[in-house]
Amino acid sequence: MATKRDDDDILTGSIPAPEDEATPAERAHAKTFADLVDKTLAGRTPPAMSADDRALLEVATVIRAAAGNAELGAAKRSSLVEGALRQAIGGKAQPSGDVTPIAKARAKRAPWIVAGSSLAVAAAAVVLWLGAPRKVHVIDHAPAALQDNWKSRPADPLIGPISRDHAGDASARLDTIFADRLDGYRELRMRGGH
Amino acid sequence: MKLLTFTVFAALVACGSCTDKTEKTEGAGSSVTHVTEPSDAIDQKLMVALSQAKNFHHKAKVYMSDGDTAAAIASVREILSLRFPPNAPEAEDVRNDARALLARLLVGQGQLDEAMNVVKEGLGSSRESFFTANLYTVKGEIHEARAQQLDATDKTKATEERHAAIESFDASNKIDKKLQDQLLEQK
Repeated sequence: MATKRDDDDILTGSIPAPEDEATPAERAHAKTFADLVDKTLAGRTPPAMSADDRALLEVATVIRAAAGNAELGAAKRSSLVEGALRQAIGGKAQPSGDVTPIAKARAKRAPWIVAGSSLAVAAAAVVLWLGAPRKVHVIDHAPAALQDNWKSRPADPLIGPISRDHAGDASARLDTIFADRLDGYRELRMRGGH
Repeated sequence: MKLLTFTVFAALVACGSCTDKTEKTEGAGSSVTHVTEPSDAIDQKLMVALSQAKNFHHKAKVYMSDGDTAAAIASVREILSLRFPPNAPEAEDVRNDARALLARLLVGQGQLDEAMNVVKEGLGSSRESFFTANLYTVKGEIHEARAQQLDATDKTKATEERHAAIESFDASNKIDKKLQDQLLEQK
């Protein structure tokens, strides 16, 4: 029977007999470890612990999982179910650890929907503005009679009599007519007519 | 998502509904004033037609310089099918000048009857102008060419053609004189 117990040395320390009564230190240690196990199962694992406690904690976790009575938290369970449902309807499967609740996903898309809607409304407004009928004031009566050189008119005064020697010079005559009418057309345009 | 779809749909409907409006008006937003021009104003259609006729004439000249009379004839015929603004006097003048050239080319090819048809087509419904006077001149030349062809076979008909040629030249001179007098009076 061991008289000196070293609970911090589980590998090389003495092993107490089954009928030995637990010492206060052992009870305190057991209570601390029990609290640690409870917190771990509740998902609140302490960030730092001794190497022996971590080893014991892992063993306890394995034993509990092997017993088959482990239950997932409500949030984790809900995420897994939603992930499975999403995959069933053709959605992209997500790792179970990264499953996002549908409500949360909708919340993430909401800004995009709002932005897209705003963009579409703005585009519609621009299109409507572009298509809005412009106020066109049409003055039916020209303010003044057209100058002669702005009118479409016979080319006789410009060309004059066509002698037999130049009867074949139709190209040159047309060049003359075109140049003259172009002058008139430009003047007409410059004055603001259409 | 439904909201987005609905909004996009609404935008498309709005865009579609404004198409008719843009066809009836011009541009957007601002206010403009259009002054309607009299129907006899030189417009873009006239300038385009004149420009096309000009190009066909130059094309015909190039063919003629190459000795390709058939291609030159085809090019001049294109002028006759150009679309000018309705009632534009230039259209008649340009066409009659093209007819005169076409008839001369056809005479050169020995196609006297076709040349005469072209000339008569121009004289049929034209006002008197220096261009119709030129057509009468060409008509006289066609009669002369016919007379030369008939000299060897039918002297009587050849003489008739020569008389017809003289009448055509007289008609040409008469129109020229009349128009020149009118122009002098206007000055």
